[in-house]
Amino acid sequence: MKVLIIEDEKELATSISDYLKTENYLCEFAETFSSAMEKIQSYEYDCILLDLMLPGGDGLKILEKLTRQNKQDGVIIISAKDSVDDKIRGLQLGADDYLPKPFHLSELSARIYSVVRRKQFGNSNTISFNELQVDFLGKEVKVDGKSVPLTKKEFELLQFLIGNKSRVISKIALAEHLSGDMADVLDNSYFVYAHIKNLKKKLAEAGCRDNIKTIYGVGYKFQP
Amino acid sequence: MKGLLSRTLLYYLVLSSAILTLSGPGFYLLMEKLYLDDIDEAILLRRDEFLKNKQPLLKTTDISTWNRFNRDTRILANNSSKTRDKIIQEIFYDEMVPEWEPYRVLYKGIQIQKQPYVLMIRLNLVESQDLIITLTWLYVGGLMILLLVIFFITKIISNRLWQPFYETLKKIEKFNIEQKNAPILSTSNIAEFNKLNAALNKLIGDNMKAYQIQREFTENASHELQTPLAIFQSKLDMLLQQPSLTVEQGEIIQSLYEASGRLSRVNKNLLLLAKIENNQFPEIETIDIVEIMNDVLPYFEEQCLSNNLQIKLNVKAKQLVVQANRGLCEIMINNLILNAVSHNLPNGIIIISLGANKFSVSNPGIKSLDPETIFKRFSKVSPNAHRTGLGLAIVDQICLVHNWRIAYSFEKKIHTFSVTF
Repeated sequence: MKVLIIEDEKELATSISDYLKTENYLCEFAETFSSAMEKIQSYEYDCILLDLMLPGGDGLKILEKLTRQNKQDGVIIISAKDSVDDKIRGLQLGADDYLPKPFHLSELSARIYSVVRRKQFGNSNTISFNELQVDFLGKEVKVDGKSVPLTKKEFELLQFLIGNKSRVISKIALAEHLSGDMADVLDNSYFVYAHIKNLKKKLAEAGCRDNIKTIYGVGYKFQP
Repeated sequence: MKGLLSRTLLYYLVLSSAILTLSGPGFYLLMEKLYLDDIDEAILLRRDEFLKNKQPLLKTTDISTWNRFNRDTRILANNSSKTRDKIIQEIFYDEMVPEWEPYRVLYKGIQIQKQPYVLMIRLNLVESQDLIITLTWLYVGGLMILLLVIFFITKIISNRLWQPFYETLKKIEKFNIEQKNAPILSTSNIAEFNKLNAALNKLIGDNMKAYQIQREFTENASHELQTPLAIFQSKLDMLLQQPSLTVEQGEIIQSLYEASGRLSRVNKNLLLLAKIENNQFPEIETIDIVEIMNDVLPYFEEQCLSNNLQIKLNVKAKQLVVQANRGLCEIMINNLILNAVSHNLPNGIIIISLGANKFSVSNPGIKSLDPETIFKRFSKVSPNAHRTGLGLAIVDQICLVHNWRIAYSFEKKIHTFSVTF
C-alpha cells in the first residue's frame, strides 16, 4: 500500500514512515508544495497525509486539485493549525479525515487504516484473524462465526488495536482515542485498563486466543 | 463618594455660609462704631458750642431754669464721681417711654460765675440702634440673595464646562481592553480636556498594542510548539516499538509520555484561550444546555464509577435555551464537571443543578479557594498532573464572551461554581 506524506518537517515525516513501514506501507515524501503537486499528478496513492502549511503554497490547493482530477486517493489532513474553519473546508474539499498536531502515531495509523479500508472495501469491510472476524461497517465481532456483543467503547478499542497491528500502542494514546476531547481527565490508565480487561474477557469467553498483549505497563499490542 | 459638581457646590455652600455668619456681626460692629463716632462728634460739637456761646452768659441762678428746659444738656453740682472729659456709655431711665435706655454721655467740669459745676451732655442711642439693625439685615439679605444667584450660576456653568469630561469618563468606563476598537473621544473647546483626551488616547492605544502583542505571542508560541511536540511524541511512539525495550526503559518512556501529554494539553488550552479571546468562535446558535449536559453525562458517569464518585442531578427546568456557540458551551460544561471530578474528596458527590437561567456544579471540599485568583491562568491548587490549570480560566473567558456571569462560593464545605445566563 502506498502512502504519500506531504510534510515539510522531515523528522516527523520519517517517524510516520518508520511507523507505517512495519505494516507493509510504502511511504513517499513530498516536502514542498511543488513536489507534492508533481507527485499527485503522476502517481496514485492509497492514502495521502497532507500538512496544510507548506513552503510554497497552501495545502488546501492540493486537495482542490485532487478533487478536480477525480482521484480516489484517501486524504488525511495533518495540521498544526487546529482550526474549525480549516477542518470544515478540508472535509468539504474531499478530505477523509482531519488530525491536528501533535498526534500519536498509533492514532494516525488507525485513521489511515480505516480510510484505506473504507476506500478499498466499501461494501464488505470485514477482516479476519484466524477465528476472529471483525466487520467494520456493521460494527460486529465474531469468533468462530459466533457473534460477540461488545460495547461501543470496546469495539472502538479493538478497531484501534487492529489499525496498529503488531505495534505497541501507548496507554496514553489509547486513552486519548477513547475519551476524545476530554483526555484532560484524571488518571486515565485505570479507565483504559478496565476497557482492555473487559474486551479481553469477552473475547476469551467466546473462545478467541489472547491476541492483546500488555507491554511493560506502558502499552498494548495486537499480535494475532 | 460625591460627584465633582456636588463637591464644588458643597464647598461653595460651606464657605458662603461662613462668610455670611462672620460678616453679619462684623458689619453690625462696624456700623455701630461709625455711628458712635458720629454721635460722639455731635456731643463734642454741643460742648464746644456750650462753652463758647452759653457758658459766658449763664448765671448760677439760671441753672435750675436751664436744666428744666434742656433734657440732654444739663448742669450738675460738682459732686459727681463720673469720669470726666471722656465720652462714656450709660443708661438712663426715660420717664417718657418709660424704660431704661442707652445714652452716650460726656461729663465736663465747668465754672459758672467762678463756681465749679459739671456739664453733662448726652445723646439717646435707641433710634440709632434700630437703624443699625435694619441696615445689617438689609446687608445680610442682599448678600444671601447674591450668594444664591452665584450658587445657581456656578452650578449651570460647571455643568456645561465639565460636559466633555463626563462624556470622556462615560466612554472610558465602557471601554474593555478585549474590544477591538478604542473609544473615540470627542474634542472640546477646552484645552485641558483636549489634553486629557489626547493623553488617554495615547494610553489606550499603547495598552491595546501591548495587549495585542501579548496575545499574539501566546498564540504564536503555542502554534510553533505544536510541530516540535508532534515530533517528540512520534519519536516516543517509535521508541516504544523497540523490541529490546526493558521494563525500566518502559517506565521512563511512560513518564515522558505523561510529560509530553501534559505539555500538549497546556499548549492546546492556551491556544483555545487565545482563540476565544480573538473571537474565533463567532457562530452563535440556539442551544439547549440540558441537551448538552445529557450528551456529556455518560462519559462522566463512567469516570465517576472508576473514581468512586456519585453524580446527583438536580434539574428543575425541562430546557435551558441560550444563544451561544455550541463548541464553547460544551467545553464550559465539560470543564466545570471535570473540575468537580478532579477536586473531589474520596467517595464524594457531584451535584449538577439546572434552574431557569442558571447552571451550577458543586462538590465537597476542605477549604475555600481564593475567589480572586481561582479564574486566573495557572492558579492551580492541587498537584494533579493531569490538570493544566487553565480549565477555569477557559470557563471564565467563555462566560465573558457570552456575557454570562460566573460565580464561585464555598458554603457548608461545598464548592459551587455557577453560571447565570
